[in-house]
Amino acid sequence: MTDTTDLEREYRRWLRWYPQSFRREHEAELLGVLMAGAREGQRRPELMECLDLLRSALLMRLRPRVPRSNRSVVTAVKLLYLGAVVELAAAVTIVATTGDVRSAIVARNPGLTAGQWHAVVAGQLEPTVVAAGLAVGFWLWMAWSIGRGRRWTRIAFVPFFGLNTWSLLNGLAGGSAVYARPDLAIGMLLWLVELAAVTLIFPVKVAVSPSGARRITFGG
Amino acid sequence: MQEATFLILTALAAGSQHGYGIIADVTRISDGRVRLRAGTLYAALDRLRLDGLISVDREEIVEHRLRRYYRLTSEGSRQLATEAARFRSNAAIAFARLGLPGEGTR
Repeated sequence: MTDTTDLEREYRRWLRWYPQSFRREHEAELLGVLMAGAREGQRRPELMECLDLLRSALLMRLRPRVPRSNRSVVTAVKLLYLGAVVELAAAVTIVATTGDVRSAIVARNPGLTAGQWHAVVAGQLEPTVVAAGLAVGFWLWMAWSIGRGRRWTRIAFVPFFGLNTWSLLNGLAGGSAVYARPDLAIGMLLWLVELAAVTLIFPVKVAVSPSGARRITFGG
Repeated sequence: MQEATFLILTALAAGSQHGYGIIADVTRISDGRVRLRAGTLYAALDRLRLDGLISVDREEIVEHRLRRYYRLTSEGSRQLATEAARFRSNAAIAFARLGLPGEGTR
């Protein structure tokens, strides 16, 4: 009896990794399966069992809770994760091309002093890298949240998309392409990913009534 | 469809089963090659329910423990049949190219 109690307590400890909603519905059932599969006299979960529970619990927390048949949202979630990767690549590109940016500025401004260059780094490059880092977190949060079926997250995506569109247009108007072409290329790639994601999470449905009137609705 | 998912759906094809029953049946169906762990099974069951391929059939309390039985939905049966047909077709081609007679079904 003590062995069983000890083992059950240990299993319960590992089940705490699962989301609350899953535990509410399945903990007793899953515990029953774990206990039914335990060896006679077993007092502790085996290592592979623990790893399996941990892996499954993390999977339950992170993976989208959208039916696979809802392809537009599933694809949008994948695009949002892709966006996080591209955003991270953008931050790395900015850091990696700092020398190119400096060379380009010097070519246009031969008299650039060390102080002016530090001002460019502190005033433009560093904030851009910090913003890109924050954006990575935002992309990941949006992917997770939309994948959990939180439709209101879509609203948060609109200003984000708008801000990035403005930023890209501003960069083009300001001649950033002259300073570092890779930055512009990755910025455009990111914008295209955003555009595709927006299209998927805000599907437009056109319904034609028997009278011939067309009714347009937004949302999947 | 992953092999574990295919085997879980196959285990439920003959009738509803509870979690431990599915694990034992999958081991039997696969000749002991696939041994599902409880965590893996419940992650798969959760996904299959979300996709509408299985549903809860009934619940029982046996020796103070909850047993929940799962069954295939009509969509689950349809997808399992589609996948089985695909495997059969691929296997037939493989046997034919190897010059071997096709094996019977278990």
